[in-house]
Amino acid sequence: MFAKEWRCELRTKVALNTLGLFAVTTLVVASVSLGPLGVSKAQGSALLPVLLWLILLFSVAAGLPRAFVQEEESQTATALRLSATPSALFCGKLLYSLTLVVALEALITPIYVTIMNLEVKSPGLLVASLAAGGYGLAAGSTLVAAIIAQARSKGTLFSVLSFPILLPLLILVIELTRNAVVGDPAGMALAQLLLYDASVSIFGLMLFPVVWNP
Amino acid sequence: MKKNLPWLLWLWISAVIVGAFYYAPLAKGFIGKSSRILFFHVPMAWVSFTAFIAAAVWSVLYLTRGRQERHDRAAAVAIQLGLLFGVLATVTGALWARIMWGAYWNWDPRQTSLLISLLFYAAYLALRGAVDDPEKQGRLAASYALLGLVVTPFLFWIMPRLTYTLHPEPVVNAEGKVDMESRMVQVLIASTFAFTVLFFWMHNLQCRLQALVARREEGRE
Repeated sequence: MFAKEWRCELRTKVALNTLGLFAVTTLVVASVSLGPLGVSKAQGSALLPVLLWLILLFSVAAGLPRAFVQEEESQTATALRLSATPSALFCGKLLYSLTLVVALEALITPIYVTIMNLEVKSPGLLVASLAAGGYGLAAGSTLVAAIIAQARSKGTLFSVLSFPILLPLLILVIELTRNAVVGDPAGMALAQLLLYDASVSIFGLMLFPVVWNP
Repeated sequence: MKKNLPWLLWLWISAVIVGAFYYAPLAKGFIGKSSRILFFHVPMAWVSFTAFIAAAVWSVLYLTRGRQERHDRAAAVAIQLGLLFGVLATVTGALWARIMWGAYWNWDPRQTSLLISLLFYAAYLALRGAVDDPEKQGRLAASYALLGLVVTPFLFWIMPRLTYTLHPEPVVNAEGKVDMESRMVQVLIASTFAFTVLFFWMHNLQCRLQALVARREEGRE
């Protein structure tokens, strides 16, 4: 499933291009207006983690819903329903979204940190927050993508439906990234974030067959 | 009994209003008479929360008990009413915050989590609006409602404790004690009961109305 997703993606490269370009564009906008001199260090540690996650969130909202929308649009969904079990499909799509998000983070975060002149006190915690947050973004948006693929006005609906689900994740992960920047210990936020990831995956796996099979 | 329910409810709520203003004493440490809003704000927030749990239960019933239309309808109506009571709770909370904290809105964790849950209810209704086929509508909406259930603990228990809050202690505080004057407790319980019955009464009316509308549509086709 996972390999099939990537083969299809590499054929068109739509998601890769939208995701990457969207992220780079927003990054440029943010850095032009703020720049390394735009914010003081004290302001930066409060502000910059928020901006980083906003960039990631909106890039994800621009690229990930395609995972299922494309199947419905090119009318391959029925073939997929016949050929794969729902749980294999869900895991495949989730893994595909996850690799996309991780690639995006790997591209964006180093540029962001350098351009914004952001000093990260504990890089390990930053990586942990990126990993846990990225997984949460991928898991939360996979099920929502499967839901909106079957509805009208898909693009706008994705943001409307996914944001209430992703908001607690964002609040937790921004808190955690901020701790990484200032050098505070991870605290409860990391455990809560992992709890969020686990519960979203479990519910996603349970609900996906219902969403997928008419 | 069923015929008299609206009248009993009317009497009960009138008694609660009188009790809230004349029977219950003012709470200590609150500016002016602002503590009286408690008797309306807390039940509204409670009903909004109950509505969501009820909607989740009906969604599970819809998915597990052979996709009956009445369960789906009940879940949708519960979310609509939950949104209504949630907005009322937000507004009454904001009015009170203006008096006590000096601003209508200041992103107190409890305000934030209530706002996110309102966004969720609205998103649920938007999803229903975007699907025409009734079977598909019920199936997708029920799944989305249950996905929302994952987020609930984070909204109501974890996030409010993440940063400090100015919100008064929940009625039953962390030690499991009720820290309130007994007459206030009486009025609050009476009011919560009244609002819960009001919710289920409105819910019942709206479900029956929608069932009639659906049947009329069928008759036309």
